[in-house]
Amino acid sequence: MTTLTSTPGGTEVRPAPSKPPVRKRRREGGTILAVPALVWYLVFMVGPMVAIFVIAALHWPGMLQPVSFAGLDNVRTVFDDPVFWDAVRNTAVQLAVALPIMIVCAYMLGYYVAQKPPGHKVLRYLLFIPGLISTPAKAMVFYAALSPDGLVNGALKSVGLGSVTDAWLASPSTALACLIVLDIWGGIGFTAVLFAARLGSVPEEIGEAAQLDGAGHWRTMWRVHFPVIREYVGVVTMLQFLWTFFGSAQHVLLLTQGGPGSSSTTLSFLVYQKAFIAADLGYSQTVGVILFLVGLVGLLTIRRAFRQNY
Amino acid sequence: MKHGKSWLPAHILAWAYAALLVVPLYYLLASAFKTNDQIFASPFSLPTSLSFGNFGTAFESADLGLAVVNSALVTAFSLALTLALAIPAAFAIARATGPLGAFVEKVFSLGFLIPTFAALFPTFLLAAATGLFHTRLFMVLFLPATAMPLSVVILVQFMRTIPKEMEEAARMDGASTFAVLRHVYTPMCLPGIATVLLLNFLTFWNEYLYSLVIIGPDPSQRTVQVALPTLKSLTGTDYGVLTAGTVLTLVPVWAVYTVLQKRMQQALVSGAVKM
Repeated sequence: MTTLTSTPGGTEVRPAPSKPPVRKRRREGGTILAVPALVWYLVFMVGPMVAIFVIAALHWPGMLQPVSFAGLDNVRTVFDDPVFWDAVRNTAVQLAVALPIMIVCAYMLGYYVAQKPPGHKVLRYLLFIPGLISTPAKAMVFYAALSPDGLVNGALKSVGLGSVTDAWLASPSTALACLIVLDIWGGIGFTAVLFAARLGSVPEEIGEAAQLDGAGHWRTMWRVHFPVIREYVGVVTMLQFLWTFFGSAQHVLLLTQGGPGSSSTTLSFLVYQKAFIAADLGYSQTVGVILFLVGLVGLLTIRRAFRQNY
Repeated sequence: MKHGKSWLPAHILAWAYAALLVVPLYYLLASAFKTNDQIFASPFSLPTSLSFGNFGTAFESADLGLAVVNSALVTAFSLALTLALAIPAAFAIARATGPLGAFVEKVFSLGFLIPTFAALFPTFLLAAATGLFHTRLFMVLFLPATAMPLSVVILVQFMRTIPKEMEEAARMDGASTFAVLRHVYTPMCLPGIATVLLLNFLTFWNEYLYSLVIIGPDPSQRTVQVALPTLKSLTGTDYGVLTAGTVLTLVPVWAVYTVLQKRMQQALVSGAVKM
C-alpha cells in the first residue's frame, strides 16, 4: 500500500535497491488497485442480485404501498397463477425450438465458412450483421416486416397468396412463433461467425487426414471437427441459452407485449410485466428467483452435456 | 476438388440465409427514402429520390438528435470509467502472487453467472435510493459494473503475457507501481484494451431495457435505443419515418464495424471464448 504514495522522484535518491525488496513491494502494492473495480461490481451487480431474493419474500403490492413479510406466500401465488404456467410453457417452447435449430444451423454454417469457399469473406461480413444491431432496431425491422401492411404480407399478396396473410404479431397462433423466428434469424449468423473463428484454429491436418481416410465432408464435419470444438460449442450454447432465456423480455416488450392474452408471455417478460406494469413486486421477484435458478440449472446441464469426453 | 459439386446445396443454403439477413436491411434502407405509398406499391424497388425528409421527420418527432447525443455521452463516459476501473484491477490480479489475487480473479469470473436482467427491479430501487433515478448519470455508473467481469478477465490474460523482467527493469529505474502500470503495462496491452473497448462500445450503445427503465421516457435524457421504439406509436404506420430512424441508430455501429471489421469480430469472438 505504501507504493501508491511513493513517487518516482522519491525513490530515485535511494541507492539502487537490491532484488528482494523489489519483489516484496510488488506483492504489497498490487491488490489494492483491484478494490475500486470490485466495489463497483459488488454495489451494482451483486447487491441487486441479493435483493431479488429478499424482495421475493416480501408482500409488496406497489412502489408506494406498505411492505410486509410474506415468507413463501408469493411462491404459492405464483404457482396458482395460470399466466405463470402459460409463461413457463411459452419459454419452454421457445428454448426447445430456438436453441437446437440455432446451434445446429450455426455450426454447419460456421463449418462451411471455415472451409473458405468462394466469397467467404463477404459472407462472414454479412453473417455478423445481426450481432451489431440493437434489440430495438431488430424489433423495428421485424415490426416493419410482420405488421398487417408490412413486407411479408406485401410479398405474399404479390405472388398471389393473399389468403395466407395474417396480422402475424397480433394473432395468438403466430405471435410466439414470430418471436422465435426473430431469435433464430439473428442468432444463426452471429453464432456461425463464432464457430467459424474457432474452427479456423483447428489444425488443417485433422480434416485432411480424415478425408484421406475416405470420410466425406458430412462425416468430417460431425465426426472429426465437432468433437474437437465440442467444449466451445458448449460455451456458445450456454450463452445463447442465457440470451434467449433472459433476453426475450425485450423482444416481447417491443413486439407483442405478451399478447394476445398471454400467448407470447415468457418468464422473463413476466418479471418485467409484474414489476413495471402490474406493480406486484413480490410476485415479480419471485419469478426472478425462479428465472435465476432455472438459468443456473440450465447452465450446469449444458456444461455437463458438452464436457470434453475423450 | 475441395469445393466440388457436392458443395452446391451448401453454397445455396448459406447464401440464401445471407439473403434473409440482407433483404430486411435493404428494405430498411430503401424505405427510409420513400413515402408510405411507395413502400406499399413496390417494397423492393430502389428509392426514386434521395431526399432526407423522413430522417428530418424522425429527428423532430422523436427528438432523435438529442437522443443520439445522450447515447454518445453515456457510451463515452461509461467506456472511460470501465477502462479506469478494469485496467488497474487486471494489473493487480495479473501480478499478484498470493491467494488473494486468485480469489479476486475468481470473484470476477463468477460474474458471468449473474443474469443482469433478473436484477432489473432491484437496480431500479438502487437508482431511486441514490437519487439518480431518471438520469443518464446512473447508467454511466451502472454500465461499467456490468462490463467488469468480462473486461477484467480479458485484460488479465493480456497482462499475463508481459514478462516480469519488464517491470523489474522499470523498478530499477525507480518507477512506482503507478508508473509501471502507466508506462509498461498499459502501452503493452493496447490490443487487449482495444478489444475491451469495442466489445463494450457495442453493448453500451445497444443497451435497451435498463435505459428504458432507469433513464425513462424524458426526451432530454433518454438514449437513442429508447427513443427509437417511440417512433412506432408517434408516427402511426409511417414506415418511411420509422425505418429512417432505425437506420440512424445503426450508423455509428456500422461505421465502426466497416472500418474495424476484423478487430471487431476478434473482439466479439474473444468475448464469447472468455465467458
